[in-house]
Amino acid sequence: MLDKLPGTQRLLIAWFTLMGLTLLSMWSAQLGATSPAPSLPLWAIALVLLAAGYKVQQILLVYLNLRVSSSGWRGSFLALLWFTLTVVALAYVIPL
Amino acid sequence: MTSAIDDDWGPLSSLPGNPLMWVLILSEMLVFSAFFMLFAWHRALDPASFDASQQQLDPLFGGLNTLVLLTSGLFAALAVKAISEQHVRRCRQWLGLTLALGLVFCVLKVVEYASKISAGITPESSTFFNYYYLLTGFHLAHVIFGLGLLSLASWRATRENVETCTAFWHMVDLIWVLLYPLLYLLR
Repeated sequence: MLDKLPGTQRLLIAWFTLMGLTLLSMWSAQLGATSPAPSLPLWAIALVLLAAGYKVQQILLVYLNLRVSSSGWRGSFLALLWFTLTVVALAYVIPL
Repeated sequence: MTSAIDDDWGPLSSLPGNPLMWVLILSEMLVFSAFFMLFAWHRALDPASFDASQQQLDPLFGGLNTLVLLTSGLFAALAVKAISEQHVRRCRQWLGLTLALGLVFCVLKVVEYASKISAGITPESSTFFNYYYLLTGFHLAHVIFGLGLLSLASWRATRENVETCTAFWHMVDLIWVLLYPLLYLLR
């Protein structure tokens, strides 16, 4: 278990992915736009949340090395993550 | 120190590193998840007020903080790799870089707080800012605690110490990755 650490290449790929998705999120949220929309379109909300979810998944699986644990633990952590993001997404797209 | 990993922890044994750190990570994730869902619920009740308050934040500032924290996470992971290969000095160098970026995060956050407070924006200004100060303040407290742990790991650089303390740092990283879009981007 202890010797299955991610290699340098895997860590760097994860880092590039995390940086790229952060920049993509910022672009989706129309940062720097001359006249940003008062509320984001549905696709932008989805993209920002999916990017955040995938980033957390990468941190869990690569940086925290959860990929070497049992499928039960992996599934539990990822289920908690995606459940939270689903609830947040619903609160943003369904008017009360 | 290796006994924590070698002992039989039952179902927790399959988790990498110190099982107790994973218990902490899971509990922190549950607490922050509850806060995030509560924030989204309150925002859904009054989107206009939340969006107006959010416009007073600088999302580029928050984005810069995200990039800083994610890079510190890479350095922390490289520190674990170095200590696993018995390179204590290199491990300390990576931990030093992680600490430096952690301090940059703190400085950026303090500058952001100062600009908000000088503009008269306090936790009482709106429900949004109540959440903003609560969530980012709670997170910042974790960052400061994480910096202390990383310093200890650098001082006593054993594999278990480094693995355990960097796991806490990754958890801090992970929470911010969710906090940033919620407070700064989504509207």
